Amino acid sequence: MTLPSESLPPPGWGARGIDGLLGAFPPGQLSEIVGPWSSGGSSLLLALIARVTTSGGKAAVVDGTDAFDPFSAAAAGVDLSGVLWVKCGGRLDPACRAADLLVRCPGFVLVAMDLGELPLRRRQSLPSSLWLRLRRAVEGSPTILVLRAPQRLAGSAAALVVSARRLEARWMGASQPTRFAGLSSELRLLRARIFPHPNLLPPLEGEGTRNPLSPLGRGQGEGCWTIEWRS
Amino acid sequence: MSQALLEVALAHSPRVEEAGPGLVYLDAAGLEGLFGGERQLGEGLCAAAAARGLNVRVGIAGSRLGARVAARSGGGVTIVQPAEDAAYLAPAPLALLDLPEEMAARLDRWGIRTLGELAALPPAALFERLGSEGPRLQRLARGEDLRPLIPWAPAPPFEESAECEWGLDTLEPVTMLLADLAEKICARLVRRGLSADGFEWICRLAGRSLHEGSLALAAPMSEASAIAALLRVALESRPPQGVVEAVTLKAHPQRVAPAQDSLTGRSRPSPRLVTAALTRLTALVGARQLGIPALLDSHRPDAVRLDPFHHPHPNPLPGRERESGSLSPSEGEGRGEGGGKNPAALVLRRLRPPCPAHVTLTSGRPVHLRSAALAGRIVTGAGPWRASGEWWTGGPWARDEWDVELADGTVCRLIHDGSAWFLDGIYD
Repeated sequence: MTLPSESLPPPGWGARGIDGLLGAFPPGQLSEIVGPWSSGGSSLLLALIARVTTSGGKAAVVDGTDAFDPFSAAAAGVDLSGVLWVKCGGRLDPACRAADLLVRCPGFVLVAMDLGELPLRRRQSLPSSLWLRLRRAVEGSPTILVLRAPQRLAGSAAALVVSARRLEARWMGASQPTRFAGLSSELRLLRARIFPHPNLLPPLEGEGTRNPLSPLGRGQGEGCWTIEWRS
Repeated sequence: MSQALLEVALAHSPRVEEAGPGLVYLDAAGLEGLFGGERQLGEGLCAAAAARGLNVRVGIAGSRLGARVAARSGGGVTIVQPAEDAAYLAPAPLALLDLPEEMAARLDRWGIRTLGELAALPPAALFERLGSEGPRLQRLARGEDLRPLIPWAPAPPFEESAECEWGLDTLEPVTMLLADLAEKICARLVRRGLSADGFEWICRLAGRSLHEGSLALAAPMSEASAIAALLRVALESRPPQGVVEAVTLKAHPQRVAPAQDSLTGRSRPSPRLVTAALTRLTALVGARQLGIPALLDSHRPDAVRLDPFHHPHPNPLPGRERESGSLSPSEGEGRGEGGGKNPAALVLRRLRPPCPAHVTLTSGRPVHLRSAALAGRIVTGAGPWRASGEWWTGGPWARDEWDVELADGTVCRLIHDGSAWFLDGIYD
């Protein structure tokens, strides 16, 4: 029996693929998704929000630059009724304070902080103590705190860092492009301070399944995924 | 309308039950001495309702179902004679019992279409096939009430006022006065096992003008100290512009569900913490800047509104992974990630408002982009995709959309509204 193609998950999605990565964002820790625009970083964040909201959880989006698009989110499978959207209008200080309030507020499975298009100079002016404070605030809670920015900001405060890199854009049309079809990107695990799930990292050749609690399970990860994002 | 109907019923009988929109039951037992008979009672109800602008129909029977059918089938006052409920209900359709879909389909397969046919079935055989639900439905179909009336009583007003002997020209005494009023209201709420999901205050100012404000709580609560703190935050964000002479505080009472639905279920987070956090968030970014995004029924781009956020409920599907707040990787298998429409959907990051751009065209196609957010040579592009709408209103809109890829690989959306170019968003 052959399943219709639309019922199959897209290439790269599966228990040991991107799904494993989504399930690996650790509760009670600060995680980061970094990468330039058109690298699929925001799409990865929306996939994570979709995963949380369709399971009945609540997610908060602290939107530094009001860039969140509910239409894209709905198309990505996000249950919008489970999303609290906090628009900060390009103001960095309220965004940071809002994230701090929300990670301390019970009831949210995910708090996503998107610093977006804020100028690099303003983003880098954030004190490192802010990220340590956020990490301390979320520690011990069941909340997943995810920061989305083009560059790494949280430094060692981040338990998990996923880097997104654009590979190529895909266009439809024979001689001249008529429609933007999507883009492919490469997601790479830059840092996994706390080993989140045994399926996240494939065992090295000749090595058995790692014990997530063993020292071997900690440290820099080797995980890499190629994702086709469809427009 | 339901409130007015309930008040009319309560004026005729001390035992009244609210049964949904436009439907009220009242106990007519023992009212003959007051009204002279059932018909007079029914006519009195019709007249009292008409005086309040309500057109009602009254059914009087030995059971709730009988009274409901009588009220709906007849005009004015319809009376089912005592002990004739079963006969009266017999030709009524089975749908009146509000059966679950599966049960309705099962009875339909048996050829049972009316209440009389259900009432005529042997109870023992019905129990064998449908369990305890079978005899219960049969008793309803025979016009027997299975439970007593649940009395309704009007909610007392939760409102407190205070007059100031001299005007208050600073915020501190006003907030203290509000805290005092909140404490009195909360004490009354607690006595009745209620909470409040919102407060309204009205400050009468020296020039006889009014300063009004409201505080919507994300979760109902009845803790006076927490409510006083939240009122202070709300008042500080929008203080009265003048000397305050009198203050009135009103609460919106609500009955609160238990913190834990079952012994093994996950308990709800503390309403006090949730409400405090959301109120502080509102004071931080503004009430219009946060909420649940809801898509509007419009083709206008970015047609979204923000609805008030409600108290987070516990996860309906208990499980170890979910209770800890994380999801296991295997949960996405078989249904796609997130169970969504398109798990690998590419997201557009919007620029609000769209960023003005200077676009160079060659043969009608954009070849170079310059804007505050992005700039560069355009290597590929698709468009224009024309969209327009609401030309029949005072705010028509039209635009051409282009998806373009810059030389550095960034893919963005450009729009041209007929007069100028804008950068609408960046795909990411």
